Amino acid sequence: MSKHPVIEWIDRRFPFTAFVKHELTEYKVPRNLSYWWNFGFLAGFVLLLQIVSGVFLAMHYKPDAKLAFDSIEHIMREVNYGWLLRYLHSTGASAFFAVIYIHMARTLYYGSFRAPREIMWWTGQVLLLSLMATAFMGYLLPWGQMSYWGAQVITNLFGATPIIGGDVVVWLRGDFVVGDATINRFFVLHFFFPFLICGIVLVHLVALHFVRSSNPSGINLRAEENISLHPYFTFKDLFGLGVFLIIFCAFVFFSPDFFIEPDNNIPANPLQTPPHIVPEWYFLPFYAILRAIPDMLGGVVAMTLSVMVFAAMPYLDRSKIPGGSRYRPLYRAMFGVFVLDIALLTYVGAQPATDEMTIIGRIATTIYFSMFMLLPIMSKKEEAWLFVRGLPQEVMAMIAEEKDDDRRRREKDRRKNERRREQE
Amino acid sequence: MKKIEILFTLMIAPLSVWASGGEVPLMQVDLAHDAGTRKQGAEVVLTVCTGCHNLKYIKYRDLQAVGFSQQEIDDLRGAAEMTAPIMSLSPPDMLKDTYGVVPPDLSLIAKARAGKGRYVYTLFNNFYMRADGNVDNHLFPGIRMPDVLGVAAMGEGPDKKAFQESMKKVASFLEWASDPNAEERESLGFYVLIYLIIFTLMLGVMKRRIWADVH
Repeated sequence: MSKHPVIEWIDRRFPFTAFVKHELTEYKVPRNLSYWWNFGFLAGFVLLLQIVSGVFLAMHYKPDAKLAFDSIEHIMREVNYGWLLRYLHSTGASAFFAVIYIHMARTLYYGSFRAPREIMWWTGQVLLLSLMATAFMGYLLPWGQMSYWGAQVITNLFGATPIIGGDVVVWLRGDFVVGDATINRFFVLHFFFPFLICGIVLVHLVALHFVRSSNPSGINLRAEENISLHPYFTFKDLFGLGVFLIIFCAFVFFSPDFFIEPDNNIPANPLQTPPHIVPEWYFLPFYAILRAIPDMLGGVVAMTLSVMVFAAMPYLDRSKIPGGSRYRPLYRAMFGVFVLDIALLTYVGAQPATDEMTIIGRIATTIYFSMFMLLPIMSKKEEAWLFVRGLPQEVMAMIAEEKDDDRRRREKDRRKNERRREQE
Repeated sequence: MKKIEILFTLMIAPLSVWASGGEVPLMQVDLAHDAGTRKQGAEVVLTVCTGCHNLKYIKYRDLQAVGFSQQEIDDLRGAAEMTAPIMSLSPPDMLKDTYGVVPPDLSLIAKARAGKGRYVYTLFNNFYMRADGNVDNHLFPGIRMPDVLGVAAMGEGPDKKAFQESMKKVASFLEWASDPNAEERESLGFYVLIYLIIFTLMLGVMKRRIWADVH
């Protein structure tokens, strides 16, 4: 096939055609991926949406304690389609978390964090943390009552750091209370973090195209069972995007205030604490865990752990059986309990801290962490039980193959070491 | 379009019930959202409420959108510019001396309360006379705002009916003031959704065709 002269010119200077071939038209993807594998692409789309809407919002927004609230109303009322930009961005934040949580749930359910995909899982973990930080800082910017008091409560948590706690809080806020210095730095960081996120996404994608997608069967497919990303999965993803956009736009155009607390339409007032401070829905489970621990430092440690513990999954799950929940009834049950437990924590996090709520919160927190703590034992026990009960032939073949790979690698290492010793 | 709205509201209704909840249940009331109702509501707000409250995100020229004629706006604004925000003539210091607080701005008040216009309507219906002869409010105990319209002493009857009709209009205007682009947003949203549904169906068909040789 003859190439367009411009493409020809570019290809002599930059691997354009090679790149398209390698990453799109000849990049192989398991043909059996379900729509659960759509959410990584959706997350990328929402990231782009947030960056574009955010850049335009920043053209009219004023990061100043005296002007911020008014500038948001200016965007909403005076700027042409400013309301659309703002509602896309505020709804986009919730959409981002929804998509990311489903993306994570899929990875957990199908065991996609297993070797050799640990680096994908860990870059994902860093992306989750960056997203949380970005969302938290962005939430301060409208300078409403919830913005202000949310930031006040969360920055206060850093005061639990032993010895230097007080200084850390002042350092974060840039002042003794959340104020003008805070809103200014949060704006700068809210604008800056997406650049970091884009960088980490790049690493995430390079890792993906190196190790390739996992698939719902859990076993590696034969070469002919893989099909090219384009046009098969580009169109499958685009169809998924269409469905996502229908739901997303229904919120943006018909219920944009659904994700905005009524209290955030009251300008920040440092002298008046709202009766009930609640974080955004996507922080509720972690907030419930924070409140479940009576001691502040303990609460902060538990909350941090509840987010970071995911990183340990490749080591906590000790089963050799691939495919996550596919062949493992016990793991599937634990996953189900975990998802229900997060729903319960979300509910508890939204309620005022009454006695009953505190007790329910503590039980749910215990279940949350016990799922992770039980996993190393349970996965081994389940593995032994399943070996006895029998597994499909392909699964056994894959386990044997992984074992062989391991043995061969160890053999190679041993021989290399021996040779080195001989040379010495 | 109404149908889509209703469907969507039903879809998220269980969630919103879960999100709200207070001591006094908000009254169920249907607020009309035509320009005539809004204008009548605006007339009450501009003659009574702005005695003490500002409406700072609404400018005189915005009143055209609720059906005020240029002449009517000129009569209202006096020497103020068309682009001037609608502000109370009472100095805030004086208001603070009288009531203990500066009365809140009304331009976002509907959105700032769970239930929006229904909250406003319920608030006005809940003034009552305490045993000590002072007026208080069931929905907002200890409210500083006096019972300007004399609801507590009104009793049931034609007066109360007329008052409630008038408050529905006020609530409707305040909902508009808190979200003046709602109508444009929803009519645009209708076309956006139609477009997206057709676009997605077409993508679905294309996806099936492309995948035909795989299955």
